[in-house]
Amino acid sequence: MWSEPFVSARERNLKWPALDGLEAFLYVAGGAAIIGFSLSVLFDVITRQIGYPWLWLQQVTTGCFAYGVFIGMALAARRNEHMYLTEIVSTLSPEARRAFEVFSRVVVFIVAMFMIIFGWENFLNDMGSFRMPSLIPLGYYTIIVPVSGAFIALFEIEQLVNGLKNGFGSGESHVAETHHE
Amino acid sequence: MSNGWIILCMAAIFLGLGYAGVPVAFAIISGVLFAVYMTHVSFSSIIGQLFHGIDTEALLAVPFFLLVGELMTSANVTHRMIVLAQTLVGHMRGGLAQIVAVFSMFFAGISGSSTADVAVLARTVGPEMDKEGYDRDYTAAVIASASTIANLIPPSIMAVVYGATGNVSIGGLFLGGVVPGLLVGFGIMIFNRFFGPIGVKRERATFGQFTEALKLSALPLMIPVIIMGGILSGLFTPTEAGLIAVAYITFVLIPLLNRKHIKHLATDFANAGLLYSIPLAAVAAASAFGWMLAYLKGPDVVSGWISEVAGTNPLMIMFLLVVLFVIIGDFMDAIPAIIIFMPIISVLTQLGEINPVHMGVVIVVTLAFGLITPPYGISLLMASKFVGVSFTKAVVRTLPLYLVFFATIAFCIFFPQVVLWLPKYLLPESVGCFHAPSGTGYICPGF
Repeated sequence: MWSEPFVSARERNLKWPALDGLEAFLYVAGGAAIIGFSLSVLFDVITRQIGYPWLWLQQVTTGCFAYGVFIGMALAARRNEHMYLTEIVSTLSPEARRAFEVFSRVVVFIVAMFMIIFGWENFLNDMGSFRMPSLIPLGYYTIIVPVSGAFIALFEIEQLVNGLKNGFGSGESHVAETHHE
Repeated sequence: MSNGWIILCMAAIFLGLGYAGVPVAFAIISGVLFAVYMTHVSFSSIIGQLFHGIDTEALLAVPFFLLVGELMTSANVTHRMIVLAQTLVGHMRGGLAQIVAVFSMFFAGISGSSTADVAVLARTVGPEMDKEGYDRDYTAAVIASASTIANLIPPSIMAVVYGATGNVSIGGLFLGGVVPGLLVGFGIMIFNRFFGPIGVKRERATFGQFTEALKLSALPLMIPVIIMGGILSGLFTPTEAGLIAVAYITFVLIPLLNRKHIKHLATDFANAGLLYSIPLAAVAAASAFGWMLAYLKGPDVVSGWISEVAGTNPLMIMFLLVVLFVIIGDFMDAIPAIIIFMPIISVLTQLGEINPVHMGVVIVVTLAFGLITPPYGISLLMASKFVGVSFTKAVVRTLPLYLVFFATIAFCIFFPQVVLWLPKYLLPESVGCFHAPSGTGYICPGF
């Protein structure tokens, strides 16, 4: 069984235990991305200062950065920790709340499907473009968009099914925990 | 359907879905997808823009400035700075409220995140204010208002995003934010002194107590020196300065001040991985929105409206932009707002021949004000939740503090020479100065 901090204990009513391992994996992968990104910036500074710059390090940095963002986007979808404009939904009557929660997840699911379909199309195109000076195909970077979309779509289905079965309530308000300005 | 209608529908879909409970990033993308459907743009290119929107070197600084705040908060080394603030202003009328303002000015030099500031203050000074009889509505109001300083005094995440998307010097924006940051901080202190609760009268700290507190907080207070020193000396970019600050906290501060926390470092990094991805997901979506807006010639339309009223008068242009961004800041998050509206800001900056750093500072101050205005004042939402009061009551108590922000914004508009004074002397190229042909000094047009 996974526990905090690998798997968030909030809104258990919306989660299948079978996907907890995936959440833990995304949590660790996000952490690895920021550590990798920090190390590559560190080595970039060091190698530049000693006069032997490794130019390809910048591509590692941007890769880790972008992977971290899209992995985090999927993780935040499972933990329901994305940025929201309002917390009105949590104050509505159970019936109204249910309708809004379902609607919200359907919208996110549709967007995730666009990310999968057209992100994949992009990936195929980007395999013909290369980043200088390492000549790494751009597709190796942009593949993270459809992959993230697939995770998001999966988590939205999970929340829809469980929410309709167990109810969407009982989750804490998500607003206070998730904004970073 | 005309471009104007498509833009209107795109914005309506974003706001409509956002207020119906759809996460911001997905609400923005939904609006963009509608616009794509109505035009000849391909879906794959706009989905590709999600990736390219964050594939910008300057944005790499964001995770580091968030990580600095996360590490400082979770390692619990911020209380030393609270003690220092107490020795400085704890004896004044409304001592704890004054501590909130002074601590926020210190903390702003370390973290670029208002929410980290709210979290620290609401958990440490908040309960003390409760014990001393401050009404909770005021506690939430003053904590939220002071937390906005984190986005003004460098390092500021809003300034990083503004600089990265608007191609404006981030170092210049950092330095330009110092004056408004201090104005807000001292403005809140003056308000506390004359209109805030009295609190409990304390003895003035002795010089010995002050030097002891200063000694204890010397290590954390090195962080602003590292960040700004690295940038100003030209040794580091803002991203690298952020990294050096993270390394300093990880390898020096935590081992020396809170050794027990070392075993939690991996968790801090993993949490930061999630923490930075949330606003940057909105950045990715907003950059697609901004791209679509530019494709539909939205900047020309909106800047046309503004220039019709303001002509090329820089003061009028800035005033109208401030009005626009006060409204925008009421309804949406600052970071997507900067990215979505950057094409409009750029056009108007050129039209009014305004210094880009000056314009950036004014916009950032206005959006920082948006953090405490309803219905979407995220700092105030957080502070009221942590302190345990209703958002509406906290808003009412915050209303008089808005005067501090109005005064600061007006000051920034009318006195560009003061706002740009620090960048001009410390980073002259950032505000358009260039080397004099004689080889000594700089020539700064428009100063």
